[in-house]
Amino acid sequence: MTETVERRRIEVLVDAPLVKSVVRASEEAGIRGYTLLPTLGGAGAGGRWSDDQVSGAQSKVIFLTVTTQAKCDALTDRLAPILESHGLVLFISPVDVVRAEKF
Amino acid sequence: MGGWDVLLSPVILFFVLGALAAFARSDLSIPESIAKGMSLYLMASIGLKGGVQVAAAGLSVEILLAAITGLALSFLIPVPAFLLLRRAGRLDPINAAAVAAHYGSVSVVTFVTGVETLTAAGIPPAGYMVAVMALMETPAIIIGLLLARRTSGAALPTRGGLFHETVLNGSVVLLLGSFLIGFITGKDGFAPVAPVFDTAFRGVLCLFLLDMGLIAARRLQDARALTARTAALAVLLPICNGTIGVLTGALIGLDTGSAAALGILAGSASYIAVPAVIRQTLPQADPGLYLGMSLAVTFPFNITLGIPLYTMLAERIVGS
Repeated sequence: MTETVERRRIEVLVDAPLVKSVVRASEEAGIRGYTLLPTLGGAGAGGRWSDDQVSGAQSKVIFLTVTTQAKCDALTDRLAPILESHGLVLFISPVDVVRAEKF
Repeated sequence: MGGWDVLLSPVILFFVLGALAAFARSDLSIPESIAKGMSLYLMASIGLKGGVQVAAAGLSVEILLAAITGLALSFLIPVPAFLLLRRAGRLDPINAAAVAAHYGSVSVVTFVTGVETLTAAGIPPAGYMVAVMALMETPAIIIGLLLARRTSGAALPTRGGLFHETVLNGSVVLLLGSFLIGFITGKDGFAPVAPVFDTAFRGVLCLFLLDMGLIAARRLQDARALTARTAALAVLLPICNGTIGVLTGALIGLDTGSAAALGILAGSASYIAVPAVIRQTLPQADPGLYLGMSLAVTFPFNITLGIPLYTMLAERIVGS
């Protein structure tokens, strides 16, 4: 049976113009690998939203990374103060990975 | 075609069609990447044509005067707008500064639609107004950020970051770049590409405004951040700013079409270039508010009523 190791999966829903802030925070937390996923639309506290490439201000992107508990904590500490002001949505969940050294 | 007749032009009617379709909850939509492509096409086209016209007419003191006036308007308009938004709109300093930046900047699509209607009315604005528009895109962002810092202590990006976000803003680069290409190549150089950038222009503008009608109406339906006060200000601000633009244009001796175009520029509010920069530099400001005001209220107002209003004002003051 293939060996798996538990890591933390972090997803951040963020407005496209603010992605740089999240990437910078993750780099400061020692996280090197991440993926940016496009979104189509949705609804939240601010009402409905959809992909908006014309203004680009409210196009939302999902920042996805899998990392160790320590780096996850470091990133969470950096993002917590700006969650409200930057309108970020942060999810953290346990995930089993193969090739633990990659994460 | 003149005055209020422009309301029955295909360009405006496509906008109305988009808005009605959205209000009726139709599933009509234009793919985002195509809408983005059309906006780039319109900016390149208007820049090229403006450059070609300036190349044909030659550089003059009038161009310099119009450029300085445009820059001054973009720097100054956010200040009274900020005060009005603070007092009458009861907005906090950060949101007032963010909204003021949008109203000091310009809407390319409103300008393009205005040029089309002014040309159809027989009073085309001078070609250099495109360059004036490009110059008016970003100064208001700097003023908006300074207002936010002075009144609320909001952190500002570094000088390098601010320069990158304003001067190297995509729409500014494309507008000024294509204007320069048009100026360098002139009429002869433009002729081979005219079928793409001139012949197809009105058709693409119709489709783009169809999409803008859909976007503006859907945003209005979902605009939770808008109140009666901010919606009223989103109509009052363009009327005041547009009037100032027309009066200033008349004062520096612009012709009727160019004075009306300056009024359209001053009266318009950005919803392409500024929102993304403000979202990045003033993340605490509510994008639902500044996009709701500029895109859902001011833009439709200017397209349907503002442009004929500024045109009529210019005709009265400068003469038709």
